[in-house]
Amino acid sequence: MAGMTPDRERISMLLSCYLDGELTPDELSEVVVALESDLDVIAEFRSLKETRSTLRMLPVLNMPLELIPGGHLGEQLSAYLDGELITAEMPVVSTHLDSCPECRRELADLDRSRTAVRALPGVEPPIFLAPKIEEKKTRRGLRTAVALAAGAAAVTLAFAVTPLGDSDHPSAVSITDLESRHIARASTAFVPTALSVNAP
Amino acid sequence: MIVARSIGIVGGTALLTIGLFATTATAGEVTELLDRAQQSTYTANRLVVSMWDGDTKVSSEFVEHSSGMEMVRVDSTWSIVGNGRAVVVSDEPQGVAFMTHSAPIETDRYTVGSVTDVTHMRRDCEAVEVMEGDIVRANILVDKRSGAPLITETMTDTGKVFRRSSLQNFKAYRTYAGPMSQDGIEYEVVMPLESDLLPTSVAGYQLVDIFPAPGGAEQGFYGDGLFTFSLFALSRATDVSGFEDATTLVTNTGTYELASTPSDVRIHWTAGGTSYVIVGDLPPDHATDVLAELPAPSAPSVFTRLWEKLFG
Repeated sequence: MAGMTPDRERISMLLSCYLDGELTPDELSEVVVALESDLDVIAEFRSLKETRSTLRMLPVLNMPLELIPGGHLGEQLSAYLDGELITAEMPVVSTHLDSCPECRRELADLDRSRTAVRALPGVEPPIFLAPKIEEKKTRRGLRTAVALAAGAAAVTLAFAVTPLGDSDHPSAVSITDLESRHIARASTAFVPTALSVNAP
Repeated sequence: MIVARSIGIVGGTALLTIGLFATTATAGEVTELLDRAQQSTYTANRLVVSMWDGDTKVSSEFVEHSSGMEMVRVDSTWSIVGNGRAVVVSDEPQGVAFMTHSAPIETDRYTVGSVTDVTHMRRDCEAVEVMEGDIVRANILVDKRSGAPLITETMTDTGKVFRRSSLQNFKAYRTYAGPMSQDGIEYEVVMPLESDLLPTSVAGYQLVDIFPAPGGAEQGFYGDGLFTFSLFALSRATDVSGFEDATTLVTNTGTYELASTPSDVRIHWTAGGTSYVIVGDLPPDHATDVLAELPAPSAPSVFTRLWEKLFG
């Protein structure tokens, strides 16, 4: 910026690094002192944060739907839950989820089935199967998605025929778990709708 | 069926005191005030004191707050809350992540009353009154430079303070390294449900969204622009632990189990075949109003008892 002293320019640079979490402890102290003592620095800090926030809100370029099988996310949902999407895919998937209730429902079903499957008791496989199992573990993707979808269908069916409150198997929940869910949901305050996709 | 994962958020993390991270927002100054508080950056020791029916609860914890995220440390365990996620970082870190598509609620329930310049801990501050109609619902002492809420007092409808949160050893704009990267933390992703089981508004609180919850339950998230609560509707057969030391809350509509923490209230009751749990930061008079508009406590019908006896 024109007219800035070298010290001020350095602080500007450090503010940017600060927002990126890239400061050394000494630099952090320098920034803190500047923020505590200089109103211009505070103003610049806020402006930087707002700019970044605005940038994050810019619309993303959507992948043409014809490139998505069936116009929906399909097995990308499984990768999404597994945190295996590449960076460029994330905004595309998130944006599609924003506007597609069908995919949101499918994602919820997938997640339910994963949770239900995880809750099943473990069974030790025979020793002679171990090498094959290790080999299969590395092959994820379509088969996993199909298996999860089947699980999801089963879970969905179970939900469909079991009205809330009539569970055949009494379960237990802790108030701590319920509270943590409330806290997590309550923490999305004021995040504009376009930014409120909080997937891992 | 969703299986509960006890991620055991460290007690104090519940302190989304006075809904400073409340999902809902009124238009205008209150929204701006809350937004600044949420986006503020600081570290501090936070002391919270609350009183419900003469029962006093206190918590003290070290917090780091930055860009809507808050980390709370108790001994070697950290909990991280913000942007729809809650995670506990310990030996086996795990958490829950909410995906929400609901826009903030617009209500005019709260307005900003008087704003007074004051000095606190040698810092320039504003003492802000948050009004609910003619009554002062909250007093918030806001650090002018950072926007952080240094002291937050929440009042009942009779003007008594029932919760007070204060930041001590406050350091604006200073955060330390987090406990660890969040990479590798297993999240349970929670997606909104479409359901008409829960009421769309209760005593001035609006239903924002609904999610599946553990035990086959539904979680309705409600807000009024300042406070929030979640209403969980579970099967009556679901055992809800955590109310072993609960006290009794008696209102005009019935008797409830009450287990408050410094930052939240938890209320449990059953009505017919459904078990309900409320968790939130709402004040006592609001809680009573909310309970009055929900199904009143009642024993299950003979048929329900017979069914449970036969089929569990």
